[in-house]
Amino acid sequence: MTEYIGYIVGGGLKENLSIRLTVPSHEVQEGAFTVIESGDWLFYGLVTDLRLGATDPRFADEQSETRLPVSLANLLHGQTLYTNLEVLPALMLERGPEPGTPEQQAWQSEIDAGKRSQPHPLPVKTIPPHHARVRLASPGDIAEIFGDAEKEGNFVIGYTREQGHPVCLNLDKFVMRSSGVFGATGTGKSFLTRLVLAGLIQYNRASVLVFDMHNEYGFDDTASDTGERVIGLRTKFPGRLRVVGLGQGAQIRSQTPDFNLEIAMRDIQPEDIELLTRELNLRETTPTTLDALTTTFGRDKWFLKFRELRAGAVIEGEDGKRIPAPDSVEAWANQAGVHPEAAKGLHSKMGPLFRRSYIVEHPASDTVSEIIKALEAGQHIVLSFGDHETDLDYLLVSNLLTRRIRQAWEKRTNEYRTKGESEPRPLVIVLEEAHKLLNREMAAQTTFSTIAREMRKYYVTLLIVDQRPSQIYDEVMSQLGTRISGWLGDDDDIRAVLSGLAGREALRGMLARLQPKEEVLLIGWGVPMPLPVSSRRYDQHFWDELLGAASGERGESDILTELGF
Amino acid sequence: MTTIEIGRLLRAGTTGFVVGCRVSQLESPSFGALVRVPVEDQYQIYGLIHDIHIDDDGLVRQLVTAEGIDEAVIADNRVNRNVPIEMSVLAVGYQLEERIFHLLPPRPALSLDTIYLCNDDELRSFTSAGRFGYFRHVLRAADLPVGDLLAAHINQVQAAQVKIGNEDWGIKATQELIVLLRDDYPTLMSVISTLGDAIPDTWNGVKS
Repeated sequence: MTEYIGYIVGGGLKENLSIRLTVPSHEVQEGAFTVIESGDWLFYGLVTDLRLGATDPRFADEQSETRLPVSLANLLHGQTLYTNLEVLPALMLERGPEPGTPEQQAWQSEIDAGKRSQPHPLPVKTIPPHHARVRLASPGDIAEIFGDAEKEGNFVIGYTREQGHPVCLNLDKFVMRSSGVFGATGTGKSFLTRLVLAGLIQYNRASVLVFDMHNEYGFDDTASDTGERVIGLRTKFPGRLRVVGLGQGAQIRSQTPDFNLEIAMRDIQPEDIELLTRELNLRETTPTTLDALTTTFGRDKWFLKFRELRAGAVIEGEDGKRIPAPDSVEAWANQAGVHPEAAKGLHSKMGPLFRRSYIVEHPASDTVSEIIKALEAGQHIVLSFGDHETDLDYLLVSNLLTRRIRQAWEKRTNEYRTKGESEPRPLVIVLEEAHKLLNREMAAQTTFSTIAREMRKYYVTLLIVDQRPSQIYDEVMSQLGTRISGWLGDDDDIRAVLSGLAGREALRGMLARLQPKEEVLLIGWGVPMPLPVSSRRYDQHFWDELLGAASGERGESDILTELGF
Repeated sequence: MTTIEIGRLLRAGTTGFVVGCRVSQLESPSFGALVRVPVEDQYQIYGLIHDIHIDDDGLVRQLVTAEGIDEAVIADNRVNRNVPIEMSVLAVGYQLEERIFHLLPPRPALSLDTIYLCNDDELRSFTSAGRFGYFRHVLRAADLPVGDLLAAHINQVQAAQVKIGNEDWGIKATQELIVLLRDDYPTLMSVISTLGDAIPDTWNGVKS
């Protein structure tokens, strides 16, 4: 039997609906997914507030339970004191006339005959009438809106908080636009990202490239808070996922990666250096100097040549005076018309890059191409930074690699569009600490903001993982389709995560009141309506459910059946 | 079925009537009791006793001031009073043919019509008809001790309803009263406090 929790007493489309609660208030929580039944329509909404009320304030003021017998006091309070729910209406769905009636049969036959479109959830455009009854969503309602967990492409991301019904994420929609996983530190972002990645890899409609700054995703790890062993994606998808270590001989979690990435000096462009302005503390003269370098040595060789120049090297001239040596930075600066001090300064500041072991003149193999090939072939890559965990390495490598990848995908997309070649495989690039690459100053210079803006035009989207969404450039944030956010404390971060969404005010409090662990709010274009959920646990049970029969050992009887016995 | 006659009608109006009775008849009726006046064959009026008063006469006035009155004189004065004991009754509904209405009666009863005290069956059938519509008449009578009247009435009916296992009649009645009075804080608190004093402990199993 349907258990109703209340009925509509007021409200509106803009100011949310008011619902008089007829069950004890502790049975409903903020963020509960409610269904309002109104004639042929169902309205779906989210509880955004609970408020105590009284028919007369004096009933609330006076502690009548001390004056009256318990029974009478309860009766009095039951009628004069109440709780109102505030519900943010989100979607409406036509359910048709009462099942079993001739009207319903006529309605259904109109749909079957194609005269009437199949009902599907619409953004709410009207409101239910007074006294329409309200109930908590059933598993069927949730499957109707968020998709059936049994259907391929629907990945269970969590469960409703009150009743634990599974809530799905549509992975096709998820990879269609860039998306984000947010939450303050310690709220389980990495676990959530692992969950989503496992879902994406298992579903296998898009390739995944993870820039794994902290070496968390590839091999097995130990949880920082509980000390428990965390299974890496490589362990569960040994054939599909490759771990790439940065630099020759890199060891990731004491394991040898599948292959190593070295950056060829010719691949480093002046823009890559400009991107590191903050990390290298570069001056405003840098662009001019870099420009002169590329003019003198060419875009392929400038890095190598500049590296070979010696700063401050002098020789004795014909007149006995000490002059800059021909292979010195100063000599080149004088020749190129650049201020010698500016050139010297840049040379010294680029020192850390010159000394990076993974930047070599001739890499042992063209790993970048191998990565691209593997991704195109449907494999997934986790690029672990190994010992190179500084922002400098992260910014340089991720941007450089992404630029190459994007070029490859752009080329393939154009070939697909013009020559009718096979469709490029969608690629999701996972970016940790995304604010370092997508902040206001950097966004214009990196490939990432272009990807975020272009959406799926070139089949490449981003999955941003970050704890400071407010630091990410607004233009990028507003393009994010699906946003999965854990608890956020900072007002600016909350505002950033909710930017561009309807009902921001109502969702703001919800985000701030999520449990610090294992509760997330699903928001944005990729989910039909905002909903807080208890996120799925990343444990053996999860893997059993996800991989199911695929990973399970075949029983003896199965083998015998296969053999024909 | 036992019928207890409690007196005859002295005067009547649409909203109520006054019953006169002998001292010997005074043992049965009580404040808050439901009474009925059969007017015609298929028509009877129901009312709640809200006041019982005993008027004096000239002889009583003299006796009150006299000293050493003989017990026999007192008894004689009481039993053979010239002035009847009067009970004021608030009309709360009527029965026409088989149907009970919680509305004011279309015609009042006539003088000297006999008034009966309702027995448990009659009490239950009147109070279970409809949804406590007769509370309106009580609550409208601002000059009556509404709280006490309702408390006495609810207690009597509850006792009758419990006999047939209808335990929650009192709860429903109280709920209805609260709904009717929730916008009138002073009256509701007065009624509820009176009920609180009147109801027996057996009510405490009430669901909130």
